[in-house]
Amino acid sequence: MKILTKITIGLATSALLFVGCSSTPAHTNAKSNASVAQPTITEANLGYRGTDDLLKEDVVPPAVAYHSAAPGSSKKFKRAYQDAPPMIPHDTTGMLPITKDNNQCLMCHMPDMASSMGATPIPVSHFTNFRPKTEVVGDEILKNGKVIKNTSSEKLANVSINVDKGEQKLYAGRFNCTQCHAPQATNELVDDNHFKPVYTAPDGDAKSSWNQSKWLKDINTQKSE
Amino acid sequence: MSLSRREFLKSSAAASAAAAIGMTVPAELEANANAAESKWRWDKAACRFCGTGCGIMLATTGEGKDRKIVAVKGDPAAPVNRGLNCIKGYFNAKIMYGADRLTQPLLRVNDKGEFDKHGKFAPVSWERAYDEMEKNIRKALKASGPEGVAVFASGQYTIMEGYAAQKMMKGGFRSNAIDPNARHCMASAVVGFYQTFGIDEPSGCYDDIELTDTIVTWGSNMAEMHPILWSRVTDRKLSDPDRVKVVNIQTYTHRTCDLGDFNIIFRPNTDLALWNYLAREIVYNHPEAIDWDFIKKNIVFAAGPVNIGYGFRRAGEKSLTPVRPDGSAGKYDAKEMEIYNKEMSKVVSELEGPALEPYGYKAGDIMNNIPGTLKHHEISFEDYKKSLAPYTLDYTAKLCKGDPDESLDSFKKKLQDLAALYIEDGRKVVSFWTMGMNQHTRGTWDNTLSYNVHFMLNKQAKPGSGAFSLTGQPSACGTAREVGTFAHRLPADMMVKNPKHRKITEDGWKIPNGTLNPVGNQHIMKIHRDIEDGVVKFAWVNVCNAYQDSANAKHWIKAAREMDNFIVTSDGYPGISAMVSDLILPSAMIYEKWGAYGNAERRSQHWRQQVLPVGNAMSDTWQWVELSKRFTVDDLWGPYTLRNGKKLADVREAAYKMGYKPNTTMFEILFANERAKKNYPLALDQFPQKGYDNSECIGDARNVVGTDGKVFKGYGFMIHQYLWEEYASFGRGHGHDLADFVTYHKVRGLKWPVVNGKETAWRFNVNFDPYAAKHAKENGRGSEFAFYGPLAKALPFGNLTTVTDKKKKPLTDKAKIFARPYMDPPEMPDEEYNLWLCTGRVLEHWHSGTMTMRVPELYRAVPEALVYMNPDAAKERGLKDNDVCWVESRRGRVRARVETRGRNRPPKPLVFVPWFDERVFINKVTLDQTCPMSKQTDFKKCAVKIYKA
Repeated sequence: MKILTKITIGLATSALLFVGCSSTPAHTNAKSNASVAQPTITEANLGYRGTDDLLKEDVVPPAVAYHSAAPGSSKKFKRAYQDAPPMIPHDTTGMLPITKDNNQCLMCHMPDMASSMGATPIPVSHFTNFRPKTEVVGDEILKNGKVIKNTSSEKLANVSINVDKGEQKLYAGRFNCTQCHAPQATNELVDDNHFKPVYTAPDGDAKSSWNQSKWLKDINTQKSE
Repeated sequence: MSLSRREFLKSSAAASAAAAIGMTVPAELEANANAAESKWRWDKAACRFCGTGCGIMLATTGEGKDRKIVAVKGDPAAPVNRGLNCIKGYFNAKIMYGADRLTQPLLRVNDKGEFDKHGKFAPVSWERAYDEMEKNIRKALKASGPEGVAVFASGQYTIMEGYAAQKMMKGGFRSNAIDPNARHCMASAVVGFYQTFGIDEPSGCYDDIELTDTIVTWGSNMAEMHPILWSRVTDRKLSDPDRVKVVNIQTYTHRTCDLGDFNIIFRPNTDLALWNYLAREIVYNHPEAIDWDFIKKNIVFAAGPVNIGYGFRRAGEKSLTPVRPDGSAGKYDAKEMEIYNKEMSKVVSELEGPALEPYGYKAGDIMNNIPGTLKHHEISFEDYKKSLAPYTLDYTAKLCKGDPDESLDSFKKKLQDLAALYIEDGRKVVSFWTMGMNQHTRGTWDNTLSYNVHFMLNKQAKPGSGAFSLTGQPSACGTAREVGTFAHRLPADMMVKNPKHRKITEDGWKIPNGTLNPVGNQHIMKIHRDIEDGVVKFAWVNVCNAYQDSANAKHWIKAAREMDNFIVTSDGYPGISAMVSDLILPSAMIYEKWGAYGNAERRSQHWRQQVLPVGNAMSDTWQWVELSKRFTVDDLWGPYTLRNGKKLADVREAAYKMGYKPNTTMFEILFANERAKKNYPLALDQFPQKGYDNSECIGDARNVVGTDGKVFKGYGFMIHQYLWEEYASFGRGHGHDLADFVTYHKVRGLKWPVVNGKETAWRFNVNFDPYAAKHAKENGRGSEFAFYGPLAKALPFGNLTTVTDKKKKPLTDKAKIFARPYMDPPEMPDEEYNLWLCTGRVLEHWHSGTMTMRVPELYRAVPEALVYMNPDAAKERGLKDNDVCWVESRRGRVRARVETRGRNRPPKPLVFVPWFDERVFINKVTLDQTCPMSKQTDFKKCAVKIYKA
């Protein structure tokens, strides 16, 4: 994290004067800083190219190495936050692409197989379709058989929920697993990230809690009205 | 309240078990399971990324400066995505928290602290930053007039930011040199809409996916670029796999192809011929499929010049002089000029010869090019039919087949199967496209050709059927297009060159008639070229990365760094544009401000400020409004003479008559005026403002020291609402009706036009669009459609080569079918540069990667830009996976690593390199060719060689 360190140093002097300093009038700080401002930050301190020369040709990123553990034997990644999609901890060689005729992820991750395979089971949200059935009859648009004025005007209480209770039939809109779940390389980050997850469930870093009790709980955003 | 792990497990196990069997969870257990979340505030917002426009739910927790985003989920109530996001959508949670967020203005200075273009950066105050901006804008205005002050604008501006920038640039500075990165992304779609319908933006909506039988993608990797729409396509396909067909028409195999019933891999640029082949199949071989009743009531045929060049610089421009004996010219070397010279004239090739014969050219002819023009004229159906004659199955297959390893017979069969699907009676068809058809040396033509096929079959503007342009950016539609942050546009489809439109805008803005500049030609590549020519002296990069995203980047970087000018970048993170700049300003990011975006199905969506910005960052709206305080009536509204000799009138006297004084600031006129303060007061105790931060209007707990050196305490009125309502007033009653500000905070977006509270699903169709119904009634043609767009609705008449009758004939409420041929792009692989280079995005990264490279999960999913190539092509060059190679064109070269087994699987003649990685700076290699009509860059094809590094 050399790059970061450099820019942090560059900004440190100003940060003292600008950020969170409330004991003296802030505009005085701004003025005084202008007089002491020292040119310390170069192009190489910004971003992750790592060079002052923007036209430099032989910049090249390091080799990419993905986690190579076989499925079932890999250490699972923590979820990034409560109910975030988990990343793929195992080697995917030979398993991708997912095609309409062949989705190898499902072989191990369907709930009835997952525990015996040591795989994360696909949660109930993936057996749930929130999209109402759409039809057009004459000049009317129907959602779940009801004529609607606006696609947004359904009452929140009427949000369509269609769960496959036996968890046998994946909602086909979630068939493209790699749309949300990706293998992870071991490469060093180009930048830290200060996001801090707050897990509301004790096993929130490992398991989805986004089930029927939560789907509609917070979607009324007009509470302050 | 806290729960023991055991209690928690008990309740959550019960909750999930209950959910699985569809039971109701006992109330007490549910209460426990949710207790830990009780301090979270969930609110709706739009996703930051692509043009799909998904709804997300954002959770924040903490107080004041410490309130942070802690979670994101798909919004089950959002019609676009119904509870599901893609990987980028979920990681909206982390995009604002990268460690190197910009928190303070940074200025290049010398050791004495004075501005120095060759100096390193030092942190400065907002006041100092604005002093430098003001000084340099004054200098630029003095040197070059309004044409010397430019903005690289964005399809990622919020609607209010774009509107504020537009007002200050066009109304204040009288400069039309504001053009968005959206120029690179959908300008060809726009010109296609204007030419075909006379008005911008799609007829259809996303419900087409659930209603159609056939999805055909053209130059669009929807699985990665519009993942949630692809999820809807996948659901549709897998739910009825026998009836629903998916066909992908692409230059290389990618994830979208993995769902295809069959995929057509074509040679770059020949999609023009594929569309014409489909049209020929209809007209010559299946004339019974043409809906003549529809055609007669709704369609005219049209054509225009074909010798319109490739949007390069033209001979005689400053940076192309002098021309030297070695072939070099001005700032361009001889190798570059080999391609640029084709802008003036070219030899018609064997490939394009047959396609150009109906237009009077044959292989070997010299074609002398005129500058790109939008001019066109009506022709007869017979002439249109003649234009299609060359596209026999044999010619088309030979020209278009893009994979040398596929047999001609196999390719021909696919073309026939494709035609059969389009033509099949009763089969609904949606054609989706994105950058493949827009970033194209004939992008406008390609767009118009798509409508031809749908029109002839009467499969356009109907539920489940239509050609549908998918836009790339989250508000390319909402801001760049609808607000009109293009060089040539004004709000709501109005144009700067139209005197009536200028007057409407001037009256709406309460500025003197004659203020607005009628010359709007500084599109984004022209701004770069004007900097290189020394005309533009001040340029401001807003919500984009103009120095990483523009083709042939070396020229623009040199011009910015080595010439006498002042470049400013406002951004959340320091990207290439920040590094190039003289001043860097820290911007508030998406959920640190109130905002609104408009997506690809005409849906406008608003959100509230969720958290305070980091450090001293402030929104782009604030940055524009603050700049307006620095300039007065007398500073900006005197007389100017433009480059072309046109005069801008002195409007100061007129301004005084309106009650303004010589020293009235643009702030008082354009933003904090009486009507804004009176009509849009703060209502902090009412929805939607109650309980939410509002840094621009009331300041915030950070006490940011503003551009006047004093703590910024807010404008004191609801500026977001003012900007929205004033902007919306231009479109209401004119087919662009938007609802009021507060309504959007209650709904999950609405598709405009919103008439009497009702959104419009299918435009131009009298059953769904009240404007179409009104026009159809007025024109009395008894059609189910009215293509009521007003632009270019009277045409002269002629044939494929010339105008024969200059008298303009009206074509009220009609759309156009254009005759347009296949033509080669200016640079194609040859013996030395023997591969096609295609550039684009990957799912996990957004544009130039400034946000997504700082999210660990997204970064680690795709940590760098790879050279995706065919295994045999790699082998021929002695390359294997992870080897470092050079990718070199006539313009520059980069080093990158080879990938032959990845998600993108090109045929042997083509490589794909994404552009998100500032280390693999691929736009040093690409060519600044554009569609000469739309001025949109073609990033999808140029010639390179690849060799081991």
